[in-house]
Amino acid sequence: MQPAINDDKRMILVCCGTGCLANGSMEVYRALQEQLATTEVQVETYTKSTGCNGWCEKGPLVKIMPDDITYCRVTAKDIPEIAAKTLQNGELINRLLYRDPKTKQRVKSHHEIDFYKKQHKVALRNIGEIDPASIEDYIQRDGYKALGKVLEMTPLQVIDEIIKSGLRGRGGGGFPTGQKWKACAAVDASTRYIICNGDEGDPGAFMDRSIMEGDPHTVIEGMIICAHAIGASSGFIYVRDEYSLAVKNLGIAINDARTRGYLGPQILGSQLSFDIEIVRGGGAFVCGEETALMASIEGNVGEPRDKYIYPTEKGLWGQPTIINNVETWANVPVIMNGGAPAFAAIGTEGSKGTKVFSLVGKVINTGLVEVPMGTTLREIIYGIGGGIPGGRKFKAVQTGGPSGGCIPADMLDLQVDFDNLTKAGSMMGSGGLIVMDEHTCMVEIARYYVNFLAGESCGKCAPCREGLKAMLEILTGICKGEGSEADLDFLREIGETMQIASLCALGKTAPNPVLSTLNYFRDEYLSHINEHHCPAGVCRDLTRFYIDVEPCTGCGLCAKNCPMDAISGDRKEPHVIDQDKCIQCGECRNQCKFDAVKAR
Amino acid sequence: MKIRIDQQEIDVNPGETILEAARQNGINIPTLCYHEAFGGQGMCRMCMVEVKTAHSTNLVASCTYPINEVIEVHTSTPVIEKARRTIIALLYRTAPQSEFMKKLYQEYKCVENQLEINENERCILCRLCVRACEEIGSSAISAILRGTEKRISTPFDEASTVCIGCAACANICPTGAIELSQTPAGRTIWNRTFAVVTCQRCGQAFATREQLDYIAQHTGIKGSESKLCDDCRKKNLAAQIEQYAQ
Amino acid sequence: MAADSRPIKQKTFTNILDQYPAEKRYILAMMQDVQGEYKYLPREGMQMIAAYVDVPLSRVYSMATFYKAFSLVPKGRINFKVCDGTACHIKGSNIIIDQVYQYLGIRPGETTPDGEFSLETVNCLGACALAPAVVANEKVHPKVTSSGIIDIIKSYGGQINATSN
Repeated sequence: MQPAINDDKRMILVCCGTGCLANGSMEVYRALQEQLATTEVQVETYTKSTGCNGWCEKGPLVKIMPDDITYCRVTAKDIPEIAAKTLQNGELINRLLYRDPKTKQRVKSHHEIDFYKKQHKVALRNIGEIDPASIEDYIQRDGYKALGKVLEMTPLQVIDEIIKSGLRGRGGGGFPTGQKWKACAAVDASTRYIICNGDEGDPGAFMDRSIMEGDPHTVIEGMIICAHAIGASSGFIYVRDEYSLAVKNLGIAINDARTRGYLGPQILGSQLSFDIEIVRGGGAFVCGEETALMASIEGNVGEPRDKYIYPTEKGLWGQPTIINNVETWANVPVIMNGGAPAFAAIGTEGSKGTKVFSLVGKVINTGLVEVPMGTTLREIIYGIGGGIPGGRKFKAVQTGGPSGGCIPADMLDLQVDFDNLTKAGSMMGSGGLIVMDEHTCMVEIARYYVNFLAGESCGKCAPCREGLKAMLEILTGICKGEGSEADLDFLREIGETMQIASLCALGKTAPNPVLSTLNYFRDEYLSHINEHHCPAGVCRDLTRFYIDVEPCTGCGLCAKNCPMDAISGDRKEPHVIDQDKCIQCGECRNQCKFDAVKAR
Repeated sequence: MKIRIDQQEIDVNPGETILEAARQNGINIPTLCYHEAFGGQGMCRMCMVEVKTAHSTNLVASCTYPINEVIEVHTSTPVIEKARRTIIALLYRTAPQSEFMKKLYQEYKCVENQLEINENERCILCRLCVRACEEIGSSAISAILRGTEKRISTPFDEASTVCIGCAACANICPTGAIELSQTPAGRTIWNRTFAVVTCQRCGQAFATREQLDYIAQHTGIKGSESKLCDDCRKKNLAAQIEQYAQ
Repeated sequence: MAADSRPIKQKTFTNILDQYPAEKRYILAMMQDVQGEYKYLPREGMQMIAAYVDVPLSRVYSMATFYKAFSLVPKGRINFKVCDGTACHIKGSNIIIDQVYQYLGIRPGETTPDGEFSLETVNCLGACALAPAVVANEKVHPKVTSSGIIDIIKSYGGQINATSN
């Protein structure tokens, strides 16, 4: 039996989030266990696998506590050395420490690294610090303390506290959570339901997955608190079936919570009876929309309905229902523990608390970051994310997932919160931040999102289904150099119709990527249309790569990586691209260290 | 409760939809996917109207919006007309073979566009056929796939084993999209040919064998009665009543 | 046929269905379990579920084609999942998809005639730091390049004969 996280014991925490697992962290974890079983170390040492630390770029990550050492990109081969040097003698292995690119210094603890130093963890507070399969670990870090406190309060007091905290839904809409609970509690009904929306579908966002995998109890505790507040007896967690680790860890957590009396009849001896069931989603982005999600739980095709009557009044099986997303639930125990004022002290006037972003794309430190609402895009992308790799120029950042918008470079100082993003023509969505540089084509990215949504729209209402079909056709044409300026007007007209007439939020926001790129990057559209030129060198029909002889050093890296063997040249002599063989994949340009591969 | 639709004051029952209230009072709101028998589906979005409540002004689908407070409705504004026109333009290119859509396309004076047209198609996915099949038929068809691929079909695109050939789907279809061929030899629909039963009295082909069996099974109407077409059954009934009277 | 395809057995279905009450709300879970067993959703499975829950087959079929988790045809011995999430996309996942077509002749949703390989795209694996990512069965291949995918195909025994355009 492993002890819970404890300062007195030496713990080795191996990050087993999706990113690290893919980089081989399970092998590291096993090697470590074997090593400890066979070698004698002076201090008793325990190993734990944790959820995602968010710094996927440097994984697999291994943290040694309480020494507070963070090793990056650890492989199984490094384990004997770690045991011999660090565990036995307390010696640091320099090679495995993070090297700060600015100071060129090795850094011992992750706490000293900009990526972590500038974050403020609330929803992610436990992830990477605990073993998600251990309820003891969660309890050790104030877990279920809020529940105990809440059970002493009246439901109205709980709702009041949530209202005062200013918490708004983290799933996209940003609706005030407390108001939602209040509305639901006010409806006269014998049965009420609670749903956790874990159907995270935004391509490029994975914070909900991380929370469900890395700290499942916080979601469960949040839901139980709500059950007390609104008087519900059953809850559902709707998780994407692809998230197998999340499904597994949630299952373990629900069982453990039942055993401990946090779930089931008469919770902790109170009048509250509440239990949770996991529902595995079938793979449909539209099921992130709450009425579609409920249709799916009921055993139907996941199509939304008009929401003139809110789910708080008539939701699942026609009963009043509260549906909140994973990150929202994760904030609830913190609010009840620390009080509404402490939570409301973080963030901006209209958006309280923190927000988790998944910072991905053309940025150095990809991963999950949690910052106070109101942090500027610049701080997130440059301060935490370390800027754009290869010294290239930042072009735009896509926020809010496929239905969000692209925000250009001159708005980097925008303070990110619900209202500012909406004003900028985008939205918070679930918090994806996809960084794009000069090698990203904004027309192609709009086409990509529309293509994604064309496949993910449920197809129920005409404006969304037919609008996306038409937009995709037009954008595909423009990317091939077959567009006209009249197309741009038509795109706008279709987009505006979709915004007002579509049935659900997916359809209403689906034209955002098109309309926002049309607003901020119209020039790029015009280049494609009038000059048959893709300035980013992405649209393959409009791009030819060539090698500039000046900067080319003849290192041969491009030729080595060309899948078509289209590049030739003598060593240390400028290389050339055979246009007949080239498929415009751009790999040569990605590989070149001297910026010698150009597009025209 | 009294509300206003296009300046006209009308009496409504709480919970009634705007569309129902409008139609009962002779106010026309265009629809494609609505049928009185099934209620609002909220799919075609042609019935969007502007609703003013005490707090806000919104565009809503009138076929699903329940009236629960005093509101003011405008069934036609420039914004709404533009949206309707775009919807028609897009649906027309998806179902250009439909005369019905062609007429609407002209009526709404849609602006020409360069979009590719879907040559032989007539379906606009209003799904009235699916509803009809659920209510009248045997749930043989459904909307399959999703997004822009969505279409109406039988399972596996094969002749359905449960279809009774009642043709309720084809009869309700506003755009004539469901292929139905009827000859004395049989009725062919959804890739399946059904034997037709002729009326014992007038000799008209009026139903399929499966349809009569289905009705018999679900309603208890006996075989002999079901061998007459609707017209002849009525005449029969009238004759019987007359007999009784005498 | 795919090497790992298993005979369709009524018993297997019965075992799965018996774990659930005969209610509509469990259709999705039943379909997932059947697919988990066979790596695709056989027609017989849908028919059994429809009969068990007493809903029309058209409804089950409608769900099976709506939710992307379900494949109605058997997958190849090696199933490539190319992540086409945004992070992977802007780092070139579409090039990888094209390369697979170039070398194996299959597009997303298809299986090679010999049942060896199949290809699908997935929306986001949540491994954005490893973009572009390709998963072959369970193994994640991080940061795959246009030439790297050729090596990956080879490593699973694929014959590389570039078909002409």
